[in-house]
Amino acid sequence: MRRFLATYADVMDRVSVFVGQGCSVLFFACIGVSALEVVMRYGFDRPTVWSTELAMTLCASAWVLAVGYVTERHRHISITMIETLISPRLWHVFRLLQMLISAGAILVLTLALWGPAVKALRHVEYSGTALNSIQPTYLKVLLVVGCILYLLQLAANVIRWAHGTEGESAGGH
Amino acid sequence: ETFNIQTSFNAGDFSTQYITENWLPKIKEMTGGRVEIVLTPNGSVVPAKETPDAVAAGVLDGDFTSVNYFSGREPAYAIMGDLISGYDTPEQMLGFCKDGGGEAVMQKAADAVSGGEVHVVACGPYSKEALPARVPIRTFEDLAGKKIRSPEGLAAAVFQAAGASPVSIPFSEVYGALEKGIVDAADASAYVNNDATGLHDVAPYPLYPGIHSMPSMQFTINKQKWDALSEADRTALRDWWYEAMSAMTAEVAKKDKELAARDNAGGKIEVINWAQEDRDQLREVARKQWEVYAEKSPLAKEALNANVAYMTQIGLFKK
Amino acid sequence: MGIETITVLIVLSLLALMAVGVPLGITTLTVSLGTALLYFGERAGYFIVAANVGEVLHKYELIAVPFFVFMANVLERSGIAHSLFDSMAVLGGRFRGSVAVQTCIVAVVLAAMSGIMGGEIVMLGLIALPQMLRLGYDRKLSIGIICAAGALATLIPPSVVLIVYGLAAQVSITKLFAASAIPGLLLATLYIAYIMVRVRLNPAMAPIYDIPETGLPFFKRLKFLKGVILPGILIGAVLGVIYSGVATVTEAAAVGAVGALVVAGVRKELTWAMTRDAMRQTVLTVGSIIWLVLGAISLIGIYNRIGGGEFLRGLLTALDIAPIWVIVVMMLIVMVLGTFLEWIAIIFITVPIFAPVVIDLGFDPIWFGVLFAMNIQIYYLSPPFGPACFFLKSVAPKDIQLQEIFAAVLPFIALQAVGLFLVLFFPDLALWLPSMLN
Ligand code: NA
Ligand code: NA
Repeated sequence: MRRFLATYADVMDRVSVFVGQGCSVLFFACIGVSALEVVMRYGFDRPTVWSTELAMTLCASAWVLAVGYVTERHRHISITMIETLISPRLWHVFRLLQMLISAGAILVLTLALWGPAVKALRHVEYSGTALNSIQPTYLKVLLVVGCILYLLQLAANVIRWAHGTEGESAGGH
Repeated sequence: ETFNIQTSFNAGDFSTQYITENWLPKIKEMTGGRVEIVLTPNGSVVPAKETPDAVAAGVLDGDFTSVNYFSGREPAYAIMGDLISGYDTPEQMLGFCKDGGGEAVMQKAADAVSGGEVHVVACGPYSKEALPARVPIRTFEDLAGKKIRSPEGLAAAVFQAAGASPVSIPFSEVYGALEKGIVDAADASAYVNNDATGLHDVAPYPLYPGIHSMPSMQFTINKQKWDALSEADRTALRDWWYEAMSAMTAEVAKKDKELAARDNAGGKIEVINWAQEDRDQLREVARKQWEVYAEKSPLAKEALNANVAYMTQIGLFKK
Repeated sequence: MGIETITVLIVLSLLALMAVGVPLGITTLTVSLGTALLYFGERAGYFIVAANVGEVLHKYELIAVPFFVFMANVLERSGIAHSLFDSMAVLGGRFRGSVAVQTCIVAVVLAAMSGIMGGEIVMLGLIALPQMLRLGYDRKLSIGIICAAGALATLIPPSVVLIVYGLAAQVSITKLFAASAIPGLLLATLYIAYIMVRVRLNPAMAPIYDIPETGLPFFKRLKFLKGVILPGILIGAVLGVIYSGVATVTEAAAVGAVGALVVAGVRKELTWAMTRDAMRQTVLTVGSIIWLVLGAISLIGIYNRIGGGEFLRGLLTALDIAPIWVIVVMMLIVMVLGTFLEWIAIIFITVPIFAPVVIDLGFDPIWFGVLFAMNIQIYYLSPPFGPACFFLKSVAPKDIQLQEIFAAVLPFIALQAVGLFLVLFFPDLALWLPSMLN
C-alpha cells in the first residue's frame, strides 16, 4: 500500500508539473494573439472578431490548469507567521490541517460547479458574440477539471506529508 | 414581503436612481405595504448573465435585466432583447410586450433556460439609443460604405446588409476610434449618455432619434414566490413595472430631446433625424437579417413571428 | 441572525483560518461556501458560489496580469537593470549620496517598465545593495531605499495593483494609470529629498566615491546614455500604446511582453532557456493569484446578497464626520489590513464596499484608486507581512536579518504616509494628469 501511494504521488507530481509547464505554451499563444490583434487593428485596419475570445480562453485554460503545478510547488499564497511561534511538531500537524481544509473546500466547490457544468454541456451555452463560440460552456467545464486536478495534487501532497517525503515548502499548499 | 431584485443597471446610473427614488416607494403603496422591492446593481450578487438561474434557485427573488445578456443561451433572447431597426419608439415595443404577446414569448424563453421556475411579470425597453457619427449619414443610402462600430450579432448583420461595414471594438475604445476616424459612427447609448461621455465632441452628426438599437428588459419573480402572492398583488406588480418603465421612457426621452434641441441650436453639432421612408427602408432590410437569425432556434422564430405580427398590426409593415 | 452577527462570524472565521496557515484563496472560499450553504441551503448556496467563481474567467482585463508578470520576469533575467544602473552612475556624477539617489532614479525607470513588485526589488537588491554596502553607505538607509523605491513598480504605471483595483471598482484603468504617475514621482522625490537631508546632516552615512568616468565633462559622459535608450523605448511603447488609445491595457501588456523579448534580443540575451524559465515562473506566480481572486469574489457576492455591503456602507456613511475623514478612516482600515493580508484580497474585500461610498460622498473613484495604490505601497513595507522586505531578504547578504530590514523601512513608511496625505488633501496631484488627457 505504501509503495502504491508513493508511486501515485510521484506520478501525480509529474503530471502536474508537465501540465503546468505546458501552460507556458498557452500563455505564449495568448500574448501572441493579443499582440497580433493590435497589429491587425491599427496596422491593417482589420480587427479580428476572434482575438478577445481566443485570448481569454487560452489564458483562462493556462490559469486554471496550472493549479496542480502551483500546488505541487507549494506556491499558494498563505500567511505562515505562526510557523515561527509554535513548535515544529505542531506546525507539522497544522500543515496536514491546511491541506485537509483545502481539500474540503475544493471538494465542495467541485460539487457546486458540477451542476452548472453539466447543464451547460446538455444545453450548450454560446458566447452570443460574432464568433459565438462555446466559450462559456468550455470555461464551466474547465473549472471543474481544474478543481479535480487540485484535489488529486492535494492527495499527493498529503501522501508525501505522511511519508515524510515532502520537498522544500515555501509555505502554503 | 421584501423582494431582492438584481438589475442590469450600474450603481451610479440615472436609471437606478430614478427607479429607487421615485418608484420603489410606490410599489409599497400599491400593495398596501405587502410587497417591498430592494434593487441591487448589476453583478452585485451574481453576474448579469446568470440571473435566470439565480432566480430559479432562489438566490434572487427576481431580476430586472437587459435580456440580451442571455442570447448565448437561447437565441430568442437576441430577438426579444434588441430587434435591431425594428420599432421606432420604446412605446411601440412596450405595447408589444404588454398587449401583443411579448410576455408570453419571454415566458417561453425563461422556461427554456430555467426549467419553469421563473415567472416573467413584464418586459419592454425604456429608451432608444442614438447613433453618434463623425460624418453626416442623412439617408438610408448614406449608410453604404460607412464603418460602424456595432455590437456583434444581429446589429452587425443589419448594418452589413444595409451596405455599411460593421467594426467590432470594445466599448471602452469608442471615443478614441471616433476621434481618430477608425470608425465613422458607433453604437453607444442614449443621446443623454453620449452627451455626458463627450462623444458628440468627436462625432458631431448624431442620428437622433436613433435608427438601430433599443435594448429591452424583463422583470421576473421566482415562480414559487409569485404563486404565493395574491391576485391583487400580482396585478399591482405588473402595473407598477409598466408604469415605472413608461415614466422612465418619458423622462429619458425628455432629456434626450432637450439636449438635441440645445445642440441643434448651438451650431457645432448637427442632429440628424431620418425621414420615415428611410427608417422603413432600413426596417425592410433588417427584417431579412432577423429572419436569418431566427433560424437559430424554433423559439427565436416564434419570437420573431410575434414581433412581426404586432408590427404589421400597428402599421410598421404593410399587410 | 442579524447581519452584524454574521459579519463578526465571517471576520472571525477568516482570521482563524488565516492564522493556522490555510492559503488565502481557500480561506475566503471556505468562508463563502460555509456562509452560502448555511444561509441559502444547498441548491441556492451552490449556485451563488458557482456563478461568481465562474465569472472570474470572463474578466478580460485580468489577463493583463500574466502579461505584465512575464514582462517583468524577462526584464529580470536580462542585464537591462544592470546597464541602466551603470549608465546612471556615470551620467549622474559625484556628489554626496549619489549612489542612493541614482538607485531611486533607476527604480523609477524600472517601475515604468514593470507592473509588479518583487522583480524590481530583487534586481536592485542584487545590483545596488552590494554597491552601496561596498562604498560604505549606511546599511539601514541602503536597505530602506531599495524596499521603498522598488515598491514603486505598482504605483508608477503600468501596475497590476491598479488593474485589479480598476476591475473591482469598475473604473477606467487607463485613467488610473495616468492619475498615479505624479503621485509615484512625488514619492520618489520624497525619498530623494530624505536621502539628501540625511547625508547632509550625517556625512558618514554616504562617503563620496570615485569612478574615473564621472570625472569626465558632462558631454563626454553622454555616450553612456545607451544603457538608458532601450528601456526608454520600451516604456514609450507600453505607455504610448495605452495613452494614445491605440489598444486596451491588456493589449498594451502583450505589446510590452513582446517588447521585453525584443529588448532582450537586441541585447543578445534572448535564449530559449531564459524565455522558458521566465514563462514557468509566470505560470507559478499567476497560478496562485487566480485562486485568491476566485475566493474573494465569491465571498463578496454572497456578502452583498445577505445585505452586508449595505450594512458596512451604512456604518461608513453614518460616521458623523466630514466626508474627507471618512476617506481617512477607509485608508486606516486598508493600512491595518495591509499588515497581515495579501493585496489582492484587500482590494477584492474592501473596494466593492468602499467604492460606492466614495462616489456617494462626491469623490472621484480614480483619485481613491490612487490613494489605494499608495496605501498598498505602505502594505509592501509594513511588518509583519511586508512582501517587499521578504523579497529583499531573499537576495540580501546572509547577515542582514528580517528585523533589520523592518527597522530600515520605518522612515520610508512615514514618507509614504506623508505622500498619501498630500494626495488625500490635494486631489489634483492625482487628477490633473488624467484631466489633461481628456
Ligand atoms: Na509600474
Ligand atoms: Na504589510
